[in-house]
Amino acid sequence: MTDVLTFSENPQLAGELATAADSIAAGAGGRVFAVEVDAVREAPAHGSVLLVKAARPISGDSELIASAISEAARRRASPIVLIGSTKLGRMVAGRLAVASRMCVLADVRDLKVDGVRLTGVRGVYAGKFNAKVEGPLPCVALVPQGAYEATAGSPGPVEEITVEGFSPRVKRTEARAPQRSALDLRTAKIIVAAGRGFKTKEDLALVEKLAKALGGAMGASRPLSSDLGWLGEEYHIGLTGVYVRPNLYLAIGISGQLQHVAGIKDSKVIAAINKDKQAPIFQVADYGIVGDLYQVVPALLKILGSE
Amino acid sequence: MNIAVCVKHAIDEGELRSDSSGRPQLQGALAKMSTFDRNAVEEAVRARESKGGTVTVLSLGGQDWKKSLKEALAMGCDRAIAISSAGDLDTLATSYYLSRALQKGGPFDLILVSEGASDTYDGLVGPMLAEWLNLPFIGYARKVEIGEGTVRAEVALDEKAEVVDAALPAVVSVVSEVNSPRYPTLLQIMQASKKPMEELALDSLRDERAPLAAVKVLEVTAQPVNRKRVIYEGAPEESAQKLLDALRKEGVI
Repeated sequence: MTDVLTFSENPQLAGELATAADSIAAGAGGRVFAVEVDAVREAPAHGSVLLVKAARPISGDSELIASAISEAARRRASPIVLIGSTKLGRMVAGRLAVASRMCVLADVRDLKVDGVRLTGVRGVYAGKFNAKVEGPLPCVALVPQGAYEATAGSPGPVEEITVEGFSPRVKRTEARAPQRSALDLRTAKIIVAAGRGFKTKEDLALVEKLAKALGGAMGASRPLSSDLGWLGEEYHIGLTGVYVRPNLYLAIGISGQLQHVAGIKDSKVIAAINKDKQAPIFQVADYGIVGDLYQVVPALLKILGSE
Repeated sequence: MNIAVCVKHAIDEGELRSDSSGRPQLQGALAKMSTFDRNAVEEAVRARESKGGTVTVLSLGGQDWKKSLKEALAMGCDRAIAISSAGDLDTLATSYYLSRALQKGGPFDLILVSEGASDTYDGLVGPMLAEWLNLPFIGYARKVEIGEGTVRAEVALDEKAEVVDAALPAVVSVVSEVNSPRYPTLLQIMQASKKPMEELALDSLRDERAPLAAVKVLEVTAQPVNRKRVIYEGAPEESAQKLLDALRKEGVI
């Protein structure tokens, strides 16, 4: 029997993991358990919930979450643990794999299980290639956002597990509240994203206006949220930031480094505006305008505003 | 202050091409120190420059991987440990042997890694090392401050930033905005060859905890890029109109 545990602190991903777990467990005659820590969230769960509680809060501490999942996995003898591929998820998966001596398949989709091993497909070399990978059970799989459709389910029974001796080794304080939730980008149907082509932070108002005119959300490539510090990390789209899959991704003044493209390649339509005809973004775009964004964006706004 | 930094000698993903069957041409492909690892090396050297002590750079590999170690030595690391492996190992085994080498070559107060390798970007080796070595882990640091027996870092998570504190020894992964890695001078490159490099075989590191099972890569194929690549050039107003028309036709706006 192949029971499957799931965990993600991200509610959207938690729903997608439920679908993934159902698809694996159904074929193998196993059950699905969603691991929650501290409290059960309102998000609809599939199957049963294993709620792990300790004297202190567990949420947000990767080491304690890994211990909580390890404890839940031990009690259920579950050979597969699905974890959402977020930064926290990666930290949890690494700890858990060592603590429970499980293999890790990272960033896998199209998961299949045959009783003794789990297979999946992942992107490698910044998404230029796909690799089919296989891990013997027991196995942890990190599942990226968008690999499965979240489905509504009926919450099952909640079983509480109380653990002792959980004490955090890392003290955490929130440094800055995000300007908005990264979920805005992950679920957006239209994204207008800005890159290095913008000369000043104030000029990003153009992108904001265009996003608003199109009814979409604003995003950015890494330099704007890191080196330049114009925007928070919740705006950063790419390999090391948020993965997005909108109907329309409009990249403005973004050259199209591999690391950025890795985060947008599941978009339905990609459009780009760049003054450099040789910019790699045009190689992965459906539509491109070669031109000065300071002329093209106002032109787009004018047309949209005049309709 | 004894600092360790772990680096990966990775295929240069920007230069990697596929053959006629769509598989990557790994034979003879260019390899280099994984992009983000250069930030980890830089941070290690800066920590030594302000706090004193030594920096040891470690890498596990099998072919040409000492090149990355030599580059790290040229950037300012004091000594290198080259763990030689005949074949590719998965992350669990890689982290295990690195942890064993860290135990053998240590003790270390601070162990630095990058946020993820540029070829796979799993971000797993850092937390795995922390678990093997029973140490605190700080992930995705964009600013690292070392105090008296403590480390404070500003970390960038998916949706928020945090300030975190931990006692040393600890494992810390850094993101690329933590610093701008230096480029070694010709003199530093020449001097690097005189710095000590110890080679360790996997067999000499193995104990009863060694992972047995491993993840296998069954097949690697090129990801298809099916994009229309329609380009508009000319007057901005015309191009803008054409783009909007095309997007409407696609039904995405």
